[in-house]
Amino acid sequence: MKISVNTEIALTYLSSRKKQTVVASMGVMFGISMFIFMQSLMKGTNDYFEKMSFTNTPHIRIFNENKVADNHMLRSFINDQSEKILTNPKQLAQSPGITNPYGIIDQIRRNPKIAAVTPQVTGNVIYTSGSVELPGNVAGVEIDEEDKMFDVQTNMISGNLHDLNRVHNSILIGKGIAEKLSLHTGDNLTVRAGNGNMLVMRVVGVFSTTVKQLDETKSYANISTVQSLAGKDRSYVTEIKVNLVNYNDAPAVARDLETITGYKSEDWVKANEQLKAAFKVRAIILNSVIGVILLVAGFGIYNILNMTIYEKIKEIAILKAQGFSGRAVTSIFLQQAIYIGLMGGIIGLIVGFSLTFMVSRIYIGAGTLKYLPMSFHPPHYIQALTFGIITTIAAGFFPARKASKVDPVTIIRG
Amino acid sequence: MENIALKASGITKYFYDPVKMQVLKDINMEVIKGEFVSIVGKSGCGKSTLLYILSTMDTDYEGTLTINGENTTGQSLNNLARIRNESIGFVFQFHYLLPDFSCLKNVMIPALRLGKLSPKEIEAAAYEKLKMFGVEDQALKKAGKLSGGQQQRVAIARALINNPAIIMGDEPTGNLDSKNTGIVFDLFMQLSKEYGQTLITVTHDEDFAKRSDRIIEMADGEIKRIAGNNGNKSQNNK
Repeated sequence: MKISVNTEIALTYLSSRKKQTVVASMGVMFGISMFIFMQSLMKGTNDYFEKMSFTNTPHIRIFNENKVADNHMLRSFINDQSEKILTNPKQLAQSPGITNPYGIIDQIRRNPKIAAVTPQVTGNVIYTSGSVELPGNVAGVEIDEEDKMFDVQTNMISGNLHDLNRVHNSILIGKGIAEKLSLHTGDNLTVRAGNGNMLVMRVVGVFSTTVKQLDETKSYANISTVQSLAGKDRSYVTEIKVNLVNYNDAPAVARDLETITGYKSEDWVKANEQLKAAFKVRAIILNSVIGVILLVAGFGIYNILNMTIYEKIKEIAILKAQGFSGRAVTSIFLQQAIYIGLMGGIIGLIVGFSLTFMVSRIYIGAGTLKYLPMSFHPPHYIQALTFGIITTIAAGFFPARKASKVDPVTIIRG
Repeated sequence: MENIALKASGITKYFYDPVKMQVLKDINMEVIKGEFVSIVGKSGCGKSTLLYILSTMDTDYEGTLTINGENTTGQSLNNLARIRNESIGFVFQFHYLLPDFSCLKNVMIPALRLGKLSPKEIEAAAYEKLKMFGVEDQALKKAGKLSGGQQQRVAIARALINNPAIIMGDEPTGNLDSKNTGIVFDLFMQLSKEYGQTLITVTHDEDFAKRSDRIIEMADGEIKRIAGNNGNKSQNNK
């Protein structure tokens, strides 16, 4: 490969002032490695919290919601041309069950975007052990499906969740319930439903999510157990939980499902708005920090190139006298900036990766979080390098243009 | 007309700082190919200003300038840079090599810029030029490490690398002791006589001027006297 004379001069200038070159590229290196580190940390924690939110909420929940009364009944009753107006409409209580839930489940399973569908019966109950009562809710689920969707197994601290299918009238309880009622695996627990039905159930396992409120209220039982506790038949389902292949499709798919089923379907984005808001705030903080770092690095390059140009002003004049055009001189100095950027950038990628890797090995051990969640996401590295190069080009542009405008006559004549 | 290397007609220039002042007044001159011309005159007579206009580096003047049959007045700066690269070699009072580069590289750079030959060929040509001036043993040293006389010789080698139509010198011996002045002067004579090179030099040095083909004497921005040096000229034209 033939190296152009501009490149050769740029490289010679860089290598004859090694110290300054190194300092300038260190600035870029610092900016880029911080960029990668911060992005990895943020994406890692965001992913972690997103994943956490999926351990107890599905991507989409389909349930029956109370509706505001409208005038369609009125219209069918007084069937004439008059305009019917309903003043002060009230909420109408709907039966909590979904009609024909298994038909709906069959239908939505056909959508290729959907990975898993499972019915659930939720009932508000009071747990009683001895003389102590504790309000809570029991989720009637098909535990194998539930485990596939929410990885219940990893939250188990004692017992076996599959016993739910083997043991008649069995229940999995949250850690908080177990502590408050002094229950252990194998103990009996009385569960009373809102309609007065009572059932003595056997605790076959205790689980612990990181959410205290859930641990103190939630329990799992077999769907048929909860159906009978509620005094309903086998087709009684209060909600259908849907997981998607790609959870980012949730808002769109939820809209479709709402139209198809006629029931309220809520996606995880709506259910976790505070989570999304936190992501946004963190992204703003992070980007401003990175912006400042890159800006400082840019000023460093600007400064060093400016100094180089003052120092080399006679040489620039000589080059111009020998027939280097303004464009060639711009190219010489811009190339210096680019090489500083590339050098700092590539070292920055390595340092950024090492830093991320090292931090991902720091033990945290809070709740289910064992190590700091760091993401190793290739686009971050490409972004970092791109931003780094853009900064250096922007920083190098003005000194380079200044160099190209040097008037050889004034400099040579002194 | 074909043997005219440089033709200037009606060159007029003003300085505006601190007050408007006319430094060159309607200068007309022609330089024939192979001619060795010296421009002399007292400080402030405008001789250097004229040289920089002839060199195409200074574009702020009135009148027209033709180099090698090509009109340079009003050309874009990038075009002028190309013309300088191809047709003009420079030797300055303060050698002005690039100190970070080896002598060889310094000589090679204008040719690399021109890009007509491969780097290998350029290197060979540069060695040849350095040899011509007896500094080939310094070729790989950094230019900043050489003595003044050696640097000036490298600078002359550099001016010749693209076989330019004209070599211009601004006090090329002004910063040298008498021994080195002698060496540089002999080199210029050699270029003129043996290689038929066109030379335009601004100088204070009487002896230097006397030995050139033609002396253009300037005063107050005007050409006062043009003195041909017949002895030299006949030698040149033989």
